[in-house]
Amino acid sequence: MEHPLAPRIAAYVAGKMPDVTDVAVLDVERISGGASRETYRFRLSWREGAQARERRLILRRDPPASLIDTERRVEFEAYRAFHGSAVPVPEMLWLEEADDALDHPFFIAEELSGYQAAPQLLFAGGYDAVLPRVAERKWTILGEIAKADPAALGLTQVMPAPALDACWRRELDHWEAIFDKEMSAKEGAEPQPIARAAIRWLRANPPPPAQKLSVVHGDYRTGNFLYDEAGDIHGVLDWEMAHLGDPLEDLAWGFNPIWRFGRGLAGGLISKPAAVALWEAASGLHCDPKALHWWELFNCVKGQGIWVGSARAFIDGGNREPIMVYPAWWLLNAQDRAILEVMGRL
Amino acid sequence: MTPSVPSVLGEMAQLLVRNADPAVPAAERTTALTLSAMLLGLAAEVWDDAAERLAVENRALAALLPDTADESSLKLSALKAENDRLRARLIEAHIAAEQAGDAARLDAIWAELKASTERRLLSVSLV
Repeated sequence: MEHPLAPRIAAYVAGKMPDVTDVAVLDVERISGGASRETYRFRLSWREGAQARERRLILRRDPPASLIDTERRVEFEAYRAFHGSAVPVPEMLWLEEADDALDHPFFIAEELSGYQAAPQLLFAGGYDAVLPRVAERKWTILGEIAKADPAALGLTQVMPAPALDACWRRELDHWEAIFDKEMSAKEGAEPQPIARAAIRWLRANPPPPAQKLSVVHGDYRTGNFLYDEAGDIHGVLDWEMAHLGDPLEDLAWGFNPIWRFGRGLAGGLISKPAAVALWEAASGLHCDPKALHWWELFNCVKGQGIWVGSARAFIDGGNREPIMVYPAWWLLNAQDRAILEVMGRL
Repeated sequence: MTPSVPSVLGEMAQLLVRNADPAVPAAERTTALTLSAMLLGLAAEVWDDAAERLAVENRALAALLPDTADESSLKLSALKAENDRLRARLIEAHIAAEQAGDAARLDAIWAELKASTERRLLSVSLV
């Protein structure tokens, strides 16, 4: 049975490819994992003169309400900026910010097929021999992101560029506002005494200015890249929280204790000092341990802000998908424990 | 847990009915049912202890603040509302202790915060 989105996607793409004929969209299926965007894969077929063509593509569409509220243009441009660089990403094709075509804004991109993303599979035993390779690639690629010049990539056109000494405050203000907004909710507002204590500590103990302004992926962790059986990484995904800021923010997000996946290792892969060494070698930047600690605690607060936002999207009825509940139920308390651990209170 | 277990179970019931329709694409049904099964597992894990955990915590918070824990209703929703009220007061008490530099009081508050995460600990917790 044809998916209801198929003819609508085909009509949209046909308008974007006026020189071809017989545009068809086949095998549309929604794929899991998209808590901030609805993600679908499909086959696009068309004819160029006498020649039949086909390509596997991905559609990322805004849901009615999201775990995080971000601009899809920022995500689209972040992908596009790194395409063809040392940071592997899928090719972006079309961005649509109006609701007319598919009810909500969306973009269409190349599908990088034949690879895996799930941490559960990576840590199930079959990949044990290549985990060091995954780790080497993971933190080397993150170093490349940190090293990149945002202005040269054209990203200062679409992302605000904070002063080096304002990066931390901008991010902390943003995520503290999530908690403030939550407490003003009419239904189910849940106080967060542990996250609030962490925020007070962060404000009282600010980090030094960023050593450079970098592209910050915003959710760079095991689970958000595509790997193969040799341990190579073929695509960095989920750039919806990308922004410009302190490169230590990205490094520290991957050290959030919940992303150890219960394995006692950074990202479930290698020791934290080993990961830092890989990142420093690739980025040419220095990781100040005290500054890193600040960003680790900040990222625990940010994580809690995301899980609180997920719960809120469900409670308010904007998005009643089970993917909105699972992070809240699974991670809210674990994130509190992570905050306590980073603060030396667990 | 937040969102509340009854609200999630109600949504799961509707989701199961929707997925009984053979027209739902197989991949979407698989995703929906797998996530639903994981949620049902978590709900089952917390169900028996939920009221006791809230009552114990509310009494601990009331003793620490000090305050009185309202136990006029043993409905989970009522105990949770009281827990939210007391935890909001705990934030205020924590700020006051920080400003006063009251080390003993701070230790007691941190101990309760740590205990609160142990009461909520799930078998699948990552930390």
